[in-house]
Amino acid sequence: MANNTEDIENNMDEQETNVASELTQQPQEAAVTRARSRGGSGGGGGGDGGGGGGNGTGPEQNGQPPAARPPPRVEENEEDEDEELTLKYGAKHVIMLFVPVTLCMVVVVATIKSVSFYTQNDGQRLIYTPFPEDTDTVGQRALNSILNATIMITVIIVMTLVLVLLYKYRCYKVIQGWLFLSSLLLLFFFSFIYLKEVFKTYNLAMDYFTLAIIIWNFGVVGMMCIHWKGPLRLQQAYLIMISALMALVFIKYLPEWTAWLILAVISVYDLLAVLCPKGPLRILVETAQERNEPIFPALIYSSTMVWLVNMADTEWPPKRNSTEAAPPQPEAPEAVGSPGPTTLSQDDGGFNSSWVNQQQHQLGPLQSTDQTRREIQELPDARPPVEEDDEERGVKLGLGDFIFYSMLVGKASATASGDWNTTLACFVAILIGLCLTLLLLAIFKKALPALPISIFFGLVFYFATDNLVQPFMDRLALHQFYI
Amino acid sequence: MNLERLPNEEKLSLCRKYYLGGFAFLPFLWLVNVVWFFKEAFVKPDYTEQMQIKTYVKRSALGLLLWVTVLTTWITIFQRFRAEWGEVGDYLSFTIPLGIP
Repeated sequence: MANNTEDIENNMDEQETNVASELTQQPQEAAVTRARSRGGSGGGGGGDGGGGGGNGTGPEQNGQPPAARPPPRVEENEEDEDEELTLKYGAKHVIMLFVPVTLCMVVVVATIKSVSFYTQNDGQRLIYTPFPEDTDTVGQRALNSILNATIMITVIIVMTLVLVLLYKYRCYKVIQGWLFLSSLLLLFFFSFIYLKEVFKTYNLAMDYFTLAIIIWNFGVVGMMCIHWKGPLRLQQAYLIMISALMALVFIKYLPEWTAWLILAVISVYDLLAVLCPKGPLRILVETAQERNEPIFPALIYSSTMVWLVNMADTEWPPKRNSTEAAPPQPEAPEAVGSPGPTTLSQDDGGFNSSWVNQQQHQLGPLQSTDQTRREIQELPDARPPVEEDDEERGVKLGLGDFIFYSMLVGKASATASGDWNTTLACFVAILIGLCLTLLLLAIFKKALPALPISIFFGLVFYFATDNLVQPFMDRLALHQFYI
Repeated sequence: MNLERLPNEEKLSLCRKYYLGGFAFLPFLWLVNVVWFFKEAFVKPDYTEQMQIKTYVKRSALGLLLWVTVLTTWITIFQRFRAEWGEVGDYLSFTIPLGIP
């Protein structure tokens, strides 16, 4: 897995900074400029819509020469505005991502707690983790789990490379077909199993006819929303659901130590794949940027809408994703309003974070091969003419990130002795990690992996809470000693 | 996908596709159609394509109602009489609850 947070700087940046520098002097002109840089997209004002254009913040952009004002004052203003811009973007986008990540985790934890199927050890394993963990000695178990994790990570690396190669040589059809098949499998087969287990748990009778109707509807509408066009909220809901399903499958089929090891190793891999110059995901991101086209938008969770007006390559159909978190506010009133931080802040220049994530999964015991690979890529800017520019960008997070976050929290709730304490601690840790990642994104403005920080915190909190905090609290409760 | 951004012809085409798609045993699609295009059809000020969108939304709602009735009836019958049907009931069942019915 590799997850990228990417913030694409583009021409917008320059326009933004120009806007910023001119803003204090000529509100009128700035309004026009801003309108232009927004490209007339309604969301220009957009509260949570996330504006188009790069985030014009950062001290390095304060050097814009003001036109006719005394330099110190303007620069100070710009700095304030820029700082506020950074902060505003950070907070807003973090909140926009909190909700889906939390929802996904809640679904996973609720399922784990209620449906015992996902915590049962049936002895079935994935093909990728052939070594059993119920061995005689601890050493043997450790060795087996290390081997399992190695195999899994190798498979993932290989699949990543295959994907990058396919992308580089423009085999778009193959990739599309692959993604289509994986989401098909997820939406139909895994949800079928999920429903079956839920019905069993709650001891309900269900006939084949009704079941067929339910699964058919769920699957087809899901495919339409994810791969074609559908209401934004519904698409987000479906993406959350399939991430939760995937996380549940991982929780069920990965043995204990293997699961924790895989989480750790994947975070490291993510870090390397995204940040190293030769990392496959970085190559992918850069190729996509060169070609100025989107990559696999079907599997990105995005909280704003991206509207690609001009597509450079006709073979890749433009895809429209995500939802606007808030309806776009009209530009005019804000633009005409007094210049200053408030006006600028509503101009959500937005920065893009995209996490590139790849994942592969195969169901061994069920004799079916399913390769789910998710790669989330920042949608590069299409620079259409100003009048048609209808672009908003916001925060994007790879589905693989959802999956691994939920997997961590789900595992914590399933197997921790501290139970709810540990679960909540991991939950908080992951959210903090997400905040920090977004903060780093605002600072560095380039593709960043989203897994490492969160998973690292999550793991630390899990083991610490389970082994240190929980026994401590148990002792306190035992002795009725309240602190 | 934000409906606000689409030109009216595309809205109509989308509504129409959702309406036609619902005939493939997809009442959920009709539900999505109704909810999504409700504002477009009934709340927004008039525009050329709105009449057609209105008809599609109304028909989708009708189809949805029909499906809901059929399904509710069937589910009620099934749940009530499943135990009494013996073998046929088991054959129809996907999951059979444990314990005394």
